[in-house]
Amino acid sequence: MMDPVETHDVVVIGGGPAGLAAALGARRAGAGKVLLVERDRTLGGILNQCVHDGFGLFLYKETISGPEYAERLVEDLVREPIKVETGAMVLDLTPDRVLRINSRSGYRLVQAGAVVLAMGCRERTREMIEIPGTRPAGVFTAGSAQNLVNLQNFRIGNAAVILGSGDIGLIMARRLTFEGVTVRGVFEILPWASGLERNVRQCLLDFGIPLELRSTVVEIRGRDRVESVVVARVDEKLMPIPGTESVIPCDTLLLSVGLIPENELSKRAGVVLSPLTGGAVVDENFMTSTAGIFSCGNVLHIHDVADWASFEGFAAGERAARCAAGERAAAGTVRITAGPNVKYALPQLLTAGAAGVEWSFRTTHPLRNTQVIVKGKTTGKVYARKKFGRLLPSELQKIKVRPAVDEDLEVSCYE
Amino acid sequence: MSDRPVVDRLTCVLCPVGCELEVRRDGSTEVEVSGNQCDKGIPFAVEEVLHPKRNLATSVPVQGTEATMVSVRLSGPVPREMIFPILAEIARLRPEVPVRRGQVLIAGVLGAGVDVIATRTVV
Repeated sequence: MMDPVETHDVVVIGGGPAGLAAALGARRAGAGKVLLVERDRTLGGILNQCVHDGFGLFLYKETISGPEYAERLVEDLVREPIKVETGAMVLDLTPDRVLRINSRSGYRLVQAGAVVLAMGCRERTREMIEIPGTRPAGVFTAGSAQNLVNLQNFRIGNAAVILGSGDIGLIMARRLTFEGVTVRGVFEILPWASGLERNVRQCLLDFGIPLELRSTVVEIRGRDRVESVVVARVDEKLMPIPGTESVIPCDTLLLSVGLIPENELSKRAGVVLSPLTGGAVVDENFMTSTAGIFSCGNVLHIHDVADWASFEGFAAGERAARCAAGERAAAGTVRITAGPNVKYALPQLLTAGAAGVEWSFRTTHPLRNTQVIVKGKTTGKVYARKKFGRLLPSELQKIKVRPAVDEDLEVSCYE
Repeated sequence: MSDRPVVDRLTCVLCPVGCELEVRRDGSTEVEVSGNQCDKGIPFAVEEVLHPKRNLATSVPVQGTEATMVSVRLSGPVPREMIFPILAEIARLRPEVPVRRGQVLIAGVLGAGVDVIATRTVV
């Protein structure tokens, strides 16, 4: 193996809302040399195609669009002596934090004091959910349709059906309606919408677009181009109910059926992943199981609000800077598990004795008048409790634990 | 409108409690809100049911570039029924490069009291 030709205190992989914040966080915490590597030609990640507003409510205290949010973060970034490389791909990452980078200037090895993973996520495809039928043109993931419409000015079809009620699917239902495309309906296999309620109202109800719960697409028809899809209701086990099929003529099918953290590099670096989040197992410093490698944003777990991805980025960048400066980073040993009605709680590990840590969690299904309890698994001591009027799986929630903790914890929700 | 009351159900989005509001309307302009745990829920529900306001976003090609798009939105929300008339105005826009973020592309669009602004810098 060649020797690294270049060293940096902190290398951030990915220039979206999490990665931009991580690079800034690292600089602000005193990292001398920071490198940000972005695969695309421009910074901003998925923000660039999210032209709708609703971004920045927490970070900037006002509602702005995705491109504005990205530009503001980039403006902060370019004021700092941070080396930014776009059109550059990290091909490999070792547990010792050596990165193989391919860029316009060629291929080289870079040694990092600490690494922040901020690669984001990608969309689940037709193949991954195995929709039967023919293989015509006209089947898009919601995000790729968003890119084609908003950034490339394509008209992607005339009549669309949307499978899955993720936020991007809902946003695209409205966007296509604006472009004169008839949206015949949104079909969701679960008994509840997976996107935010605000989007159900403002993107579907406003335009009379039907949302059919407990139903799914069971067949795609058409030879060269989609001609119709067959939808059916599903039973409790989410299996299609024979006899409930109906044919919907359309030339376009959009899929908004889930996002998957993009952790190929993390795996190469030996980072332990959680089957519940699809992202790294981290401690309260956002450090993964590989010392000196940190994770934040959608590569860590899927967020519904970009601002939270950025807040994680600021924190992860700051901790990475301190780690690179030699602050001993002991991996957490206290384990936090998801109890009744909780899909996951993050961080999953905690340094013994840590206090004032905030957990992110999601519920498994919608709950009302709920009490969220963080309890010690050995002593049964309640470390935190918080009441919620309503909890939806679509909304990432937070609960702060003020006391110092040195026993394993369980986060649970009770109606 | 018939004499039968119209019932709308919506979730209050003013705070994280997320009260589930029920708004009943009879033939007149009388509106009755229930389900709210605080006073703020009432004007929210009334406006949302009687005069909903929305922002909108789209993108338009920039002249003088290789088909680069500039994203746009309104500087503030407008009555929902103005969405499509405003979109038609925006569809005619062909801004020239350079375009700066925040630049007003249509001032006071259709007398709605808000501007169409660029949300991205294209140079």
